[in-house]
Amino acid sequence: MIKLLRNLIKEPMFVIGSFLFLVTIFAGLFGSSLYTASPDGMSYDAPSGDYWLGTDNLGQDYVALLLRGLQNSLFVGFMAGIIATTIGTLIGLFAGFKGGLVDDILNMITNLFIVIPSFVVLVLVSASWPQGRSLVLIAVLIGLTTWPWTARSVRAQAASIRGRDHISLARINGASNLQIIFKHILPYLASYVFMVFIMQVASGILSESAISMIGLGPIGEGSTSLGVILNTAKNNSAITYGYWWGIFPAAIVITVIVFALYLLNNSMEGVFNPRLRK
Amino acid sequence: MLKKYPTVRYVLLRAIWYFLTFLVAIALNFFLPRVGSDPGDIMLAQSSVSSPEIRKQTEESLRKSFGLIVVDEQGSIKRDENGNAIKASKFSQLTNYIGQVFKGDLGTSFKNQKKVSEIIAQALPWTIALQLPAILFGWIFGNGLGALAAYRRGVFDKVIFPLALLMSSIPFFVFGMVLVYFFGIVWEIFPAVGAYALELTPGFSLDFLFSAAYHYVLPFFSIFLILAGGQAIGMRSMGIYELGTDYIKYAKWLGLKETRVLAYLFRNAMLPQLTGLALSIGQMVGGALITEMIFSYPGLGMAMLTAIQTNDYPVIQGVTLLITTSVLIANFTVDILIALLDPRVKQSLSMDSK
Amino acid sequence: MANILEVKDLSLHYLTRFGQKINAVTDVSFTMKQGEILGIAGESGCGKSTLVNGLMGLFIPPLYPTSGDVSVEGESLMNRTPENVRENILSQKVSMIPQGAFNALNPTRKIKDIAADVIAAHSSAKSINRHEVYARLRERFDLFGMETERILNAYPIQLTAGERQRSVIGISTLLNPKVVIADEPTSALDVTTQKVVIKMIFDLLEKNIFSTMIFITHELPLLRHVSHNIAIMYAGEFVEYGTAIQVVHDPRHPYTKALMGAMLSADSEQKSRKPTTIEGAPPSLTKKIVGCRFAERCPSARSECKQKTQDMRMVGERLVRCDYAE
Repeated sequence: MIKLLRNLIKEPMFVIGSFLFLVTIFAGLFGSSLYTASPDGMSYDAPSGDYWLGTDNLGQDYVALLLRGLQNSLFVGFMAGIIATTIGTLIGLFAGFKGGLVDDILNMITNLFIVIPSFVVLVLVSASWPQGRSLVLIAVLIGLTTWPWTARSVRAQAASIRGRDHISLARINGASNLQIIFKHILPYLASYVFMVFIMQVASGILSESAISMIGLGPIGEGSTSLGVILNTAKNNSAITYGYWWGIFPAAIVITVIVFALYLLNNSMEGVFNPRLRK
Repeated sequence: MLKKYPTVRYVLLRAIWYFLTFLVAIALNFFLPRVGSDPGDIMLAQSSVSSPEIRKQTEESLRKSFGLIVVDEQGSIKRDENGNAIKASKFSQLTNYIGQVFKGDLGTSFKNQKKVSEIIAQALPWTIALQLPAILFGWIFGNGLGALAAYRRGVFDKVIFPLALLMSSIPFFVFGMVLVYFFGIVWEIFPAVGAYALELTPGFSLDFLFSAAYHYVLPFFSIFLILAGGQAIGMRSMGIYELGTDYIKYAKWLGLKETRVLAYLFRNAMLPQLTGLALSIGQMVGGALITEMIFSYPGLGMAMLTAIQTNDYPVIQGVTLLITTSVLIANFTVDILIALLDPRVKQSLSMDSK
Repeated sequence: MANILEVKDLSLHYLTRFGQKINAVTDVSFTMKQGEILGIAGESGCGKSTLVNGLMGLFIPPLYPTSGDVSVEGESLMNRTPENVRENILSQKVSMIPQGAFNALNPTRKIKDIAADVIAAHSSAKSINRHEVYARLRERFDLFGMETERILNAYPIQLTAGERQRSVIGISTLLNPKVVIADEPTSALDVTTQKVVIKMIFDLLEKNIFSTMIFITHELPLLRHVSHNIAIMYAGEFVEYGTAIQVVHDPRHPYTKALMGAMLSADSEQKSRKPTTIEGAPPSLTKKIVGCRFAERCPSARSECKQKTQDMRMVGERLVRCDYAE
């Protein structure tokens, strides 16, 4: 394990990824409280000494908005990721471990929700919530629609571990199913589940921005997200008028978070999965 | 039954499975918009009708169009003794809806009284023309690049891989906005919005086709490039995995030509990528629809956006049902394709039926 | 008669992902005459597989030649481009029968097409006539006493393990290579199939499809039956080299002795003996090793063994890398 970590640190992708990730996390967690927003100015003021990244349609300081949006997007991403990973891992573990009929049924449900696009489900449910679409609601919805991906890959891994000797040994020694799953299978999958979790966080952030872009994002005081910022700019034709600061900073922030998460995932895959090493 | 024809049996079983999934999808499409609140209420809240008489009429016609109340054969509303419309049970609402869907009747738009199927029929060709080539070519190009990166490694990989990773981290629509800003607004090389110049009427005139092609460039590339990036990443790791397999080593030991080894590699790494395409096509289509909105491209994405902004539920539901259906069809096609292309799957089919 | 294969002081190393250099093969020398069968035995990780790549001239990073020379029919394999090796050496001069044929065949390609690829890869013609090639394949596969049509038209998954291994042998020897390297060709097979495969190899030898072979396995008893000479490999070095009978029945190097002890043998004289294990592990090949490489595990090691690097020397009629062997 320590050796794996040491190899990980030697990986430039991992170093860059974790640096970017830590910076965004720090900005998301503390940015809003550390930064004092300038008082509202005119609509779409260009970047200046007062407003480093200009102002939005309402004259609000974009830096403050972005910090808030980053915080909220990260919140949605992590919450959705935790929900999806928890449900997906549990279902995947049981299906992969149990095999037989349980597996068949769980697998069928999983596949059903994989082929029915989660984007569609998100749109339909969000649209039925014209009022009170909170960040939590969006996060829960995303989590509830993306777990099948985790379930599918965890199931495959669990099924491959099921037949190993130490599992049979534990069974002979009278360990219960739950004990086997949590003591003997889950630890082997821990690094794998963690990588899937990272991808779920990334896809949560992307899904939130997508749903916000079509005007079904979170609404309410202080619940602006990166997607909402982009959507507002789009609705006010910021691009057409050349207000680049309405688009690019938010676009770059989304890309940087997702890129950082992808870098982390890929570098870990390279180290944990020796076949990719060369 | 059909044990002699495992492939036919497999296709049939898959078809049945997808049909059942389709029914579930219709049910979801029906119930999900009712999770948060009653669409009729939302519509009513928006309408500025004040007189209680007219309000009741509006409400009833809305509920009728949503299948919430019982209707007789002639299409008039059934009423109880007090003259109130009889509410339909959830189940009969659903069966009613399914029946309508199979008749191709997706309801009527709240806003302009147009048939939803008409609105979709108008938008669909644009979406297909944009998305099908973008997804298909993006898939092919990305996979080619990924296979090369896996095979060559070295400098080539060191450039392609991070670049592809970066591309795949950018949402379609964000990239679309960047393209619009630079190519459409700042440099004015390509038109920023629309699918053709507004003064033209769609038809097979040369002017129109040229204009359509000109407007096509930016939306196409914003889907194509991002998608290719994601595919390249997937193909690269599949390719590296396949490179480590014994059959590639053996092919090299036999001194097969490099192009031949690469063909082995591509062919076999492509199979899981094909499955991956089927599974993620829903997300791709979703992302691509949002890209349409950025470019005000007159496809399904725009139709859905307009419908969402006006809470036009029949249109929203119609579009989502169409997306789901096409994703199911794509998945079904890929399932069959894999069974035909991969002898291992074929073999397992004939084992299953024994 | 001239030597078919000459290996002179061949040393090979490869680099790990983090730049560490592993000296996998050190100072291996031997020669083979036409018609000779040489067995190479050793534990897994002793450098056999690296040596195989070296003997084919396949120096694909991260594998690099350190020093020494390999030549086939007097032509050196060193300092060639990979493309040159591919075109002129592989399949024609030196060919390989890999272990675990289960995975060696491309799962999505028919046997006849894999075989046709080999012919196409080494044909000077711009394009090959598929029909001619298939006819040629049929003729060759008919020699193997298998159901030619079914095998050639099958995908690997439709064949049994034995059929797959025999197809691999057929494909590897398609171009009548001068030297065939068989790397544990029977290790993943059941006993009956093993016999069929061995028989096929000897059939091909008899039919003169190829005549010179290096047979790698960790099964010494099998080696004694199939090979003329045997080399024992330990930690990247040959430690004993002699005739099959000498090495198996009268081992002189302490490692060979230990290896014989560790074998469960079908030989009657050894039936009563319980197999013994060799304690310890081979030395790490990352740094320069001083002294005998086996000293740490050697039951008869002396204090000098750890200081003095041992060289191959003649003991009777065989070569042994131990100053104290008699």
